[in-house]
Order: sequence, then structure tokens, then C-alpha cells
Amino acid sequence: MKTLKITFTLALFFLAGIASQLTAQQLTGREIIDQVYNRPAGDDQTSDLTMTLINKSGDERVRKIKQFTKDFGNIEKSIMFFVAPADVKNTSFMNWTYDDDSKSDDQWIYLPALKKIKRISSDSKSDYFMGSDFTYDDLGDRKLDDDTHELLREETIDGVEYYVVQSIPKDEDYIYSKTVTWIRKDNFIGLKKEFYDEDGELLKILKIKEFKKISEFWVITLSEMENVQKNHRTSMKLDNVKINTGIPASKFSERMMMRGI
Amino acid sequence: MKKTIKIFKINLLAVLLLLTGQMVLAQSTIGIDGFVRNYTGVQYNNGDINMLQNTLNLNFNLMGDKMALKANPLIYLYDIDSFDFRMREIYLDMYFNSFDIRIGKQQIVWGKADGVFITDIVSPLNLTEFLLPDFDEIRRGVYAVKFDFYFGNSTLEAIWKPVYAGNELPGPGSIWYKPPEFPAPPTFDRSKEIINPSLENSEAYLKYSFTSSAIDFDLMGAYTWDQTPSMFVEKQFAIDTTTHNPVLTGLLITPEHHRLYVAGGSFTSTIKSFVLRGEAAYYNGKYFQTADPMAEGALVEKDYLHYVVGLDYGVGHLKLSTQFIQKYIFDYDDNMDEDEVQNTMTFLGRYDAMRETLHLELFSYVGLKYGDALIRPKITYDFSDAFSILLGSNIFVGDERGMFGKYQDNSMIYTKIKYNF
Repeated sequence: MKTLKITFTLALFFLAGIASQLTAQQLTGREIIDQVYNRPAGDDQTSDLTMTLINKSGDERVRKIKQFTKDFGNIEKSIMFFVAPADVKNTSFMNWTYDDDSKSDDQWIYLPALKKIKRISSDSKSDYFMGSDFTYDDLGDRKLDDDTHELLREETIDGVEYYVVQSIPKDEDYIYSKTVTWIRKDNFIGLKKEFYDEDGELLKILKIKEFKKISEFWVITLSEMENVQKNHRTSMKLDNVKINTGIPASKFSERMMMRGI
Repeated sequence: MKKTIKIFKINLLAVLLLLTGQMVLAQSTIGIDGFVRNYTGVQYNNGDINMLQNTLNLNFNLMGDKMALKANPLIYLYDIDSFDFRMREIYLDMYFNSFDIRIGKQQIVWGKADGVFITDIVSPLNLTEFLLPDFDEIRRGVYAVKFDFYFGNSTLEAIWKPVYAGNELPGPGSIWYKPPEFPAPPTFDRSKEIINPSLENSEAYLKYSFTSSAIDFDLMGAYTWDQTPSMFVEKQFAIDTTTHNPVLTGLLITPEHHRLYVAGGSFTSTIKSFVLRGEAAYYNGKYFQTADPMAEGALVEKDYLHYVVGLDYGVGHLKLSTQFIQKYIFDYDDNMDEDEVQNTMTFLGRYDAMRETLHLELFSYVGLKYGDALIRPKITYDFSDAFSILLGSNIFVGDERGMFGKYQDNSMIYTKIKYNF
């Protein structure tokens, strides 16, 4: 279990960006992805995340999380409280992410049965989050220059214009050989993303099913990641999203991890 | 006296609940969760069912903005009809801007080590099943007032423990009870085993903790009681009528507790994919058994150092962890029963598969002097989010002089079926 950026997860990755005044001819693949990654998303955010894991038989397992994120300038702190299922209830997780790309995240987990906060390593970004089909990188930990981005083409689907951008990891040992993202031209929301495994075979497809404007910021509220090789999928739904409510800095502390919501 | 203590405890809790219950209720939400578990174990050497336990664990939480109440009753049913009811925790929390106060029976966990207790000495242990229970169940709740003051990334924690609670040890009849060998028939005087609750007999603990990006550390001090009593031994002699020499005819053994002064600390930090942990404590005032004929009561007072260094590593779904633990007695005397240096290691490997529904784990303690070990493999499968089944084994191997080897007849295989709600 690791990072927290799920609140902004999909938000940072695919959210609508600032209305760009640049034209398609002026944008490179890197610039398009930069617009997607680095958009204003508010100073703080609160939300309820429901993650549903669906196996190939259609059986579902549901995880519910209450999460808080706050931008402190050069550091972003987030804290999540596990609400369900019962065996992980009251477990909490805190993450500090630094603007300095050379600095790894700091992460702590509170295990209520042990009544103990443990510091954990944040190095394995390609681990899957809580048994889902999302890796930590998929959830927003990926840095812009971890990949080489190339604008492949432009497409129009159902009257909506898209950039189609291919991203190839600079690390040859990374779990994906490439990703391909369909990004709306009008608001820089990536509505679909394909992930290819190390052999170049299609592994997963991410689809954005719902997005809303909340407090002047676009937020993806429903998405689904499908593993097409293993035929299982995970949906992520955000409810009760609140932005810029002035979450106190003291929320992001070991004291609150132990106290709970 | 036990009855007086019990009444004192009940009164304390009743007053707390009466004073605060309604205030909390007015602005709070009530939560109930817990688990039901069946635990069945069979000994390898004779096929005896050495564990047949059904457990109901309940957590009642009454949460408010300024206050909270928690109660955690546990009911164990052994065999057919042997009940063991335990109120593991029942306490009241009061939250203020920069500090919190917790009053009542509570489990308090300190330190960074896993499976060893070095600075983690506030809550005593239930050792009636050796070290086998889950670590949340092995600690006993203690009556205490805990005060936490927060400033910046630091916390100052002060604990006052007015009612003594010691380690719970296995008694005769238990497979975990190893009777000591005496050179003459023993008689026990247990009049000094009980420590009455009073200001003078209170225990006090203090801890400073700091959290930062580079390192988390804490420093602690304690004025406490030894949680396991020392055995004060008086030899009884009679004159042999034929030789006219004194002959040892019996031993009067008086279990008694001694005060301990403890100072220590712990730290944890990350280095790439590794987590480095350390914890140490210096114990002053500990009484050890000795065969020195000049020692009063067969006891000798010595200081000792207890420390651990650990490393955790994770790659994908595989988690690995190891710890080296050493206990060193200063100013050692060769007559002492305990070894001057005790070195132990722990190893943990855990692998999560099938979208984190199948968990494979291997944990072991290894005593380095006698090469004995406790090896604990287990496999857990989550049939659903609420329901899991575990198949495991506790394997004791090695020299019978070691703390694990002496239980080699108790090696067992077991299952735990658990339903969380």
C-alpha cells in the first residue's frame, strides 16, 4: 500500500487543463502531456473513494477510503483512512510528495491492530494498489520526463477532437513498454489510455466514464481500468469531492493517523 | 485486596463513563466492528488437539469531535465450555488543540521493533501461549492516564500507571509451563507478589517522538516495575542425626518485584527500497537468579542493554525483513543462570498473490547460541473481504537449552477461520 494521490490521481493525469490557446501545430507530445499533468487543481481536496475490484467471473470486492490532500508549496501531503472492508477499517496511510524529483516520497502506515505507525519505502511505483488494476504510477506518481512523448496523430471521434500521444518509458525495465493516450483537444482530458506490456502486447485499457466541474476545477469522478490479458477490471468512483475548503495542516500528522476520521 | 482493586477499577470507569458518555453521545457516531474466529491446533508429536479456541472480538467506538469512547471486550471459548472474558481496552479520549488525554484501560505500544519488546514495556504481555498469539492479542491492557502534547513534528507523551500489571505466565497444566528444577522441595510465599495500587507504587513513562522526512526517532525513559517477578530463595536446613551435618531440606521461594529504571530510544529511516530500524534500552535495577552461595536470596542485581537493528525490503508483492537482537548483561558473574550475551535473529518473508487474496508468510526467531528456532510458515486465503482461512504451523527446533528448542514437543499445525464484520 502506498501513495495517496488518488484524489488527484485521475485528476492530475487526465483532468481538464487550462483552456489552451496554443494550436495543434505548436504543440509537441511532451507539451500536451505537460498540459495534462500540470494543471491547477486547487490547494486542497477531500473526497470519498470507492474502488471496486471485479474478477473474470463478475465477483466484486469493494474498498472504501476517505482521503485528504493539501499542497504546501514544495511539498504535497495526503492522508487516507480506510473505511471498508472490515479487516482494514481504521488503517490509515500518509504520503508526503516533494516537488524535487530527486527526492522520494515519504510514507507511513498506521495498523490499528498493532497500534503502530510504520515508515515504509516508496520506491516501487509499479506495485499494484490494494490488489487493484492500478499501479501507483497509474494513480499519478509518474513524472513528466520519465517517458519520451510523441504526438502520433489527431483523431475525431463522435465529433470530439483528440490528440493521440504515445509515451515510451526511458527505463527499459519498466513494466510497460509504451502507453497511448487519447486527449481531448478542448480541455486536455485524457479519456482513454492503453498500456502495453514488456512484449509490446496490449495489457490494460483505462477509460474515463464521468468527469465534473467542481469549484472551478475539472475532476474525474468515475473511471475503469481493465486488464485485457487477465480479464479483470477495477472501477474507481469519487464522491463528496470538496476543493479548497482550508484543510488544516495538522490533519497530515501521525496524531490524525492514529485518531482516524 | 484483589477485590478492592477491582472495585477501584470499576468505580473509575463508571465515573468516567457517567461524566462523559452523554456529552460524547450528543455529538457522535457509534461504530461496532470486530471478528469471530475459530482457532484449532494439533501437536505433531502425539496428535493431541492442543488448541481449540473460538473468539468473539468486539470494538465499540463512540466518536465525537472533542471526545471519544472505546471499549474492546474479547470473549474466548476454550474447548466446550471454558470461557475467558477480557476487557482488553475501555477508555475515554479527550481532544484539545495541542494535546490529547486518554484515561482508562488501554494498550500502549512503543518502539520500532517487530516481535521483540525493548522499549515497548508499558503494556505487559500475556505469555500463557508463549509468543504465538497475534501481537495485538499478546499485549495486556493497563490502567493508565496518557497525555500527548504535540508541537511541530514532535510529540511528548507522558504516562501515569497507578495499577500494576505484570506479564501473564503459563501455569502448571499448560504445555507452555516448564517447571524449574529445584535441589529440594520448594514452598512458595506469594505475599510479596502483589503490588497494591498507590501513588508510591505507580509507574511513570515519558517519551519524546520526532517525525521528519529523513528520520523518525523517539527517546524514552521509565520508572517502572519488573514485569516478571524475581524468585527470592531461602534455603532451609536440618541437622542430619547421623552425620551431624546440615542438610538442605527445602526452599522457601518468595516471588517479588523490583523497581526498574529504563532509558532508551528507537529510530527508522528509508534508504532507497530499504527501511532501516533500530531500538535500544538500558535497564537499571534488574535482579537475576544466581548460584553464587554468597548472594542473598540467590539473586544478584545487574544492569543490561537490550537492542535491535532491523532492515525491511520490498519488491513488488514480496516483502522481506530481518532483525538482529542482542541482550548484554554488564558486570557479568559466571554464577548467573542467564547467559551474559543472548543473540537472536528474526526473519520475515511475505508474498501477496492473486490480487492480494492469497498471502504466503514465513516468520522465524533464531537463537544464535544454541541454534534453536521457532519457524512459523502460514498461508492465508481471503474467500471474500470479510472471510478468510489460514493454515499454519509453529515448528520448534534445536537445542533444548535454547528458549525455542525447549518447546520442540509443542510443534503444531493449526487453522484459523476468521470472519470480520
